[in-house]
Amino acid sequence: MAPDDHTSALSGAGLIEDQQDRGYGHVLPLIEGDKSYSQVTEEVFSTTERMPPLKWWLALSVSLSLLLLGVWAITQTVTRGIGTWGLNRTVGWAFDITNFVFWVGIGHAGTLISAILFLFRQRWRTSINRAAEAMTIFAVMCAGMFPIIHMGRPWLAFWATPYPNTRGPLWVNFKSPLLWDVFAISTYFIISLTFWYLGMVPDLATMRDRARSKLRKAVFSVFSLGWNGSNRTWSRYETVYMLLAGLSTPLVISVHTIVSMDFATSVIPGWHATIFPPYFVAGAVFSGFAMVLTLMIIARKVMDLEEYITLRHLEAMTKVIIATGMIVGMAYGTEFFMAWYSGNSFERYVFINRALGPFKWAYWSMVSCNVIIPQLFWIRRVRTTPWMIFILSIFVNIGMWFERFVIIVTSLHRDYLPSSWAMYSPTFIEVAIFLGSFGLFFTCFLIFTRLLPVIAASEVKGVLKHGEH
Amino acid sequence: MGSIDRMAPTRFRASFAEPGLLLEAVKRLKADGYHVIDTYTPFPVHGMDEAMGLKPSRLPRACLAFGLLGLAIALGVQIWTSAYDYPLIVGGKPLVALPAFVPVSFELTVLMAGLGVVATLFVVSGMRPKFKVPDLHPGVNDDRFVVAAEIRAGASYAELQAMLAGLGALDTELLTVDRLEKDSSLLDREATPLAFILSFIPAVLVLMALPLLNRDYLQRNITWDGGMMVPVAYQSFDPHPSLPGGQVLQTPPKGTVPRNGLVPLPYGPGQAEAERAGRELKNPLLPTQDHFSRGKLVYERSCAACHGKDGDNNSSVIVAKGLLAPAVLVAPVVKNMPDGRIFHVATFGGPQKMKGLGDLISREDRWKVVLYIRELQKAAAPKPLPASAPAPGPGVQP
Repeated sequence: MAPDDHTSALSGAGLIEDQQDRGYGHVLPLIEGDKSYSQVTEEVFSTTERMPPLKWWLALSVSLSLLLLGVWAITQTVTRGIGTWGLNRTVGWAFDITNFVFWVGIGHAGTLISAILFLFRQRWRTSINRAAEAMTIFAVMCAGMFPIIHMGRPWLAFWATPYPNTRGPLWVNFKSPLLWDVFAISTYFIISLTFWYLGMVPDLATMRDRARSKLRKAVFSVFSLGWNGSNRTWSRYETVYMLLAGLSTPLVISVHTIVSMDFATSVIPGWHATIFPPYFVAGAVFSGFAMVLTLMIIARKVMDLEEYITLRHLEAMTKVIIATGMIVGMAYGTEFFMAWYSGNSFERYVFINRALGPFKWAYWSMVSCNVIIPQLFWIRRVRTTPWMIFILSIFVNIGMWFERFVIIVTSLHRDYLPSSWAMYSPTFIEVAIFLGSFGLFFTCFLIFTRLLPVIAASEVKGVLKHGEH
Repeated sequence: MGSIDRMAPTRFRASFAEPGLLLEAVKRLKADGYHVIDTYTPFPVHGMDEAMGLKPSRLPRACLAFGLLGLAIALGVQIWTSAYDYPLIVGGKPLVALPAFVPVSFELTVLMAGLGVVATLFVVSGMRPKFKVPDLHPGVNDDRFVVAAEIRAGASYAELQAMLAGLGALDTELLTVDRLEKDSSLLDREATPLAFILSFIPAVLVLMALPLLNRDYLQRNITWDGGMMVPVAYQSFDPHPSLPGGQVLQTPPKGTVPRNGLVPLPYGPGQAEAERAGRELKNPLLPTQDHFSRGKLVYERSCAACHGKDGDNNSSVIVAKGLLAPAVLVAPVVKNMPDGRIFHVATFGGPQKMKGLGDLISREDRWKVVLYIRELQKAAAPKPLPASAPAPGPGVQP
């Protein structure tokens, strides 16, 4: 949906876009190819109506294999217990929680693109928001899987919800960050799904109108909710879309804040830090944008969407990566400063151990992937060359995974008593579950790209003639 | 909208290729006094609300109301469960710890506000699964910008067509009533089944809430999965399919040391062992007042019923009943026994009917009883033996 300029609630928002347009004297077009409305309809929807190409089937078979590996590993975990993992005392959280935070963080870029950029009236979001929101939903699904299997008895996961139960007046502990997490992640998933679906209703109506088979017509008739493009409905719809964007913006910040509180409210040196909420939120946006870039660069190539997802989109996202990457880098520095300034010997030890201890390889992988390598994005040629962006985005993904691993494992593997010191290495089962989560993510994403319109056609049509006035 | 004659359509639609043209046409129609019913476009056309004279939506109020409802539910549930239904102090925080309730309250506020406003949108706009959507123009969701309006009384359709063509209309068409969707209302015929189903929700919610208000915690609950309440391992007193004796609990192997601090007693039952105990064991306790009174207590509880309160069988229950008389503890035979031997009898039982009390009376208490028996013997020394008491046979032990 095109944000309207004349009702701009944020007067500075237009300015941001103007600077982006004029700042460097090289305005790249939002949508290339000088398309007509019906051309957009044809190009966006025809991909959902024909047989997927061979490369799609190949990609699906790879991701299904990974998914199957994950299903096998989870079956092992559930039937034999989490003793199949490499967890020990004192490293009680490791691969599972690392992957949980990693996937939640990835989800955040989708909401940022769909909600925050909408509020800031960044028109370039229109052609990537649908796919980015889908990415959010699938990433949150992957994330939610890890705490549930970490419970050991996942069939009792519903115990984490407050419901009148058969165990007397027994309720969940509302003062625990782990319970806040349950509420934050599930609210985030439900609201993201609603936002995604609501944004898709006009496009589903187009699919209904184009449907030839009876079944397809019936299915899309149900999901398009009788949409007929009425302006009275559009008017209310836009109001609700704006409200949902406004609600999602603090929501996405709250989610990673609460995830960081899982750590920050404990008294473990290395976790007990007030910098965690902003540090985690910035890290989430950083990793999420990297994942959006990774996915979009593949998708635009494989699905011939180069005219919709243009260099301008890619360039804008690399700028977000530089900004958030530097916030994350500053947070690394601040953590060290605070450890020194606190005068607490345990706190100091944890950070010295991070940089120079047995997990120093993880720490320095994190620093180089997250802080040093993204600096290449200062060069415009890197920002506008898809394959270079792709490689850098992979580095950021790896770096951000290591960030969570470093925070969790290096803080836990050295207890107060040297007699309780431990080391951690994942078992094959843990690695298989991690690979399986990628399988789940890519399987869902690949099916999405062929089942539903990857580009929000109704929004793209709204910005097609943007350059004319 | 007045009476509608199906034979003579009073409504028409015109389609345009660009949103700007549609906007101009709507403005013109309004200026000429036509009633514009609605416009239908593939994306929202800005300025159309003003051109059609639509007021700003009141949906933000619904959003606020639902958000406040979510906040109230969240705070209510958290305060009630944490402070009233299950008051448990966690982490030294007060029962009503408002700062700790902020995250969940925030999440539920957002959840209810978001879902509530979307539900309200669906209701007020009549958005629900529909299998028949009026095909006003096939390009409405593709590339056409359509206006539907009523023909002004007395106006000529031909003139209208010409005017719209001049404004850039690609085509114009008269509409029958069913081509145009009726103004959405909550309860039109198509929505009846849905409304019928939804109307059960309050009743179901009330029925679900009733058991909450009047719970009986003494009643055994029904669970579909006992989970951690049912251990996987065999219980101590369960039968066992393959262990000796068919039960889980087995006699500990020889030499097993109990874990509660006791040292093993290296004697067994029988005459020889009793004599050995008499030779080897010495009372480890001194005859203090504390040991004496404890010994008295234990003696009166565990021994006096048979041996009599004073150890002379006078108040013995089994003697009074005419059953086998136990040994007279104050008799010289017992008096001359070493402490270890009396201790052995107390532990493993006597040669007649007496059973060992070693597993009922603690070792320390048995030694205290020995101390107390010595005291009884001292007290009874001047008295002659009661005539009724049978003299212990040779070698008969108490």
